[in-house]
Amino acid sequence: MKLIIHDLTPEQAETILPKQSGIRVISDNGKIRHCVGCFGCWVKTPGQCVIHDGYETVSALLAQCEELILISRCFYGGFSPFVKNVVDRNISYSLPDFTIRNGEMHHKGRYDNRFKLSVCFYGENMTETERQTAREMVQANTVNLNGTAGEVHFAERAEDFKGVLS
Amino acid sequence: MKIALINASPKLKDSASGVILEELKGLLAEHAVTEYGFHTPALPENTEELANQDALVFAFPLYVDGIPSHLLNCMAGLEESFRKSEHPPTVYAVVNCGFYEGLQNRHALHMMRNWCEKSGLVWGRGVGLGGGGMLPGIANVPAGKGPKKNFSAALKQLAESVGTLSGGEDLFTSPNYPRIAYKTAAEIGWRQQAKANGLATKDLFQKR
Ligand SMILES: Cc1cc2nc3c(=O)[nH]c(=O)nc-3n(C[C@H](O)[C@H](O)[C@H](O)COP(=O)(O)O)c2cc1C
Repeated sequence: MKLIIHDLTPEQAETILPKQSGIRVISDNGKIRHCVGCFGCWVKTPGQCVIHDGYETVSALLAQCEELILISRCFYGGFSPFVKNVVDRNISYSLPDFTIRNGEMHHKGRYDNRFKLSVCFYGENMTETERQTAREMVQANTVNLNGTAGEVHFAERAEDFKGVLS
Repeated sequence: MKIALINASPKLKDSASGVILEELKGLLAEHAVTEYGFHTPALPENTEELANQDALVFAFPLYVDGIPSHLLNCMAGLEESFRKSEHPPTVYAVVNCGFYEGLQNRHALHMMRNWCEKSGLVWGRGVGLGGGGMLPGIANVPAGKGPKKNFSAALKQLAESVGTLSGGEDLFTSPNYPRIAYKTAAEIGWRQQAKANGLATKDLFQKR
């Protein structure tokens, strides 16, 4: 399974996202709530966020995907509030316990899965500094989530990703 | 000097960011300090006054190598506020993380700097603190003592920069006790919290 988490408008999603089977798509329904930092997803209902708004089950989907594709407007060299919110709400893909990876502290995996992480950043006037920040952050995310590195794409308009995704 | 201290942890109490700002407040006592809380995606009411400050000091947790989503909402909401300002404030940020190494906060600091460039703010400097998980538990340890040695030294340097509105290299600090001690203490903590919630240790490893 490929999992796509995106912040596109319904019209953009319709034109850009591939329509093959085996793809799960997480979109913004305008009702997502933010992570409150309670760690309930580790120590209360392990493996799932305690807020029930429909976005709490993404970490279990992460356990089943071969590739995670994040499509996000670039905010300051990082993800948009919606895409970041879904990511923040699903840290229980990892365990609370620590391990050392590349000489740094990280979390142990809850699942044996290792997905490929690919990211498409779009936006007008992205600076080269923002692109550099974004590349470095995605590299850090890949290690943090114990994934493998996919590609990081940049484009002025989300529509430009049509070819990349199909 | 007019200084805004902005607690941008989503936690309303017992946050590491709160411990950081409490210590900074003491170090900046001679200035006119106003405290703000950015705890949700919606900006609090009194943010118009931010444009009249000399310095904005943010403290927030590292979330998945970056800025927590609710703070991104707030930052996006503020982008336009500083454009007309004749003396845009200088921005400082202290990012704390659960992992041991302060350096892991560097990407979040880069994003704060990129936000400043986009919003017409002046970037001052950033601090990345590792071992943030212990901070709420050592809140009452006097500044600079015991497990707060490295922590307080970094904040002191930051306060000197803020007090003179000067910039500088980002500072990164890990705790002055061994990584293995931090790891062990944190892992005991997770088990205690699980138990308090009526779970067994093995439940922590549940797959869905
Ligand atoms: C959703 C979420 C994501 C996190 N991601 C990271 C991370 O990538 N690296 C890290 O070192 N700590 C991470 N942490 C741990 C926090 O940075 C740490 O608990 C911090 O001390 C919280 O600060 P606060 O009390 O000021 O909110 C994360 C915590 C949460 C809730």
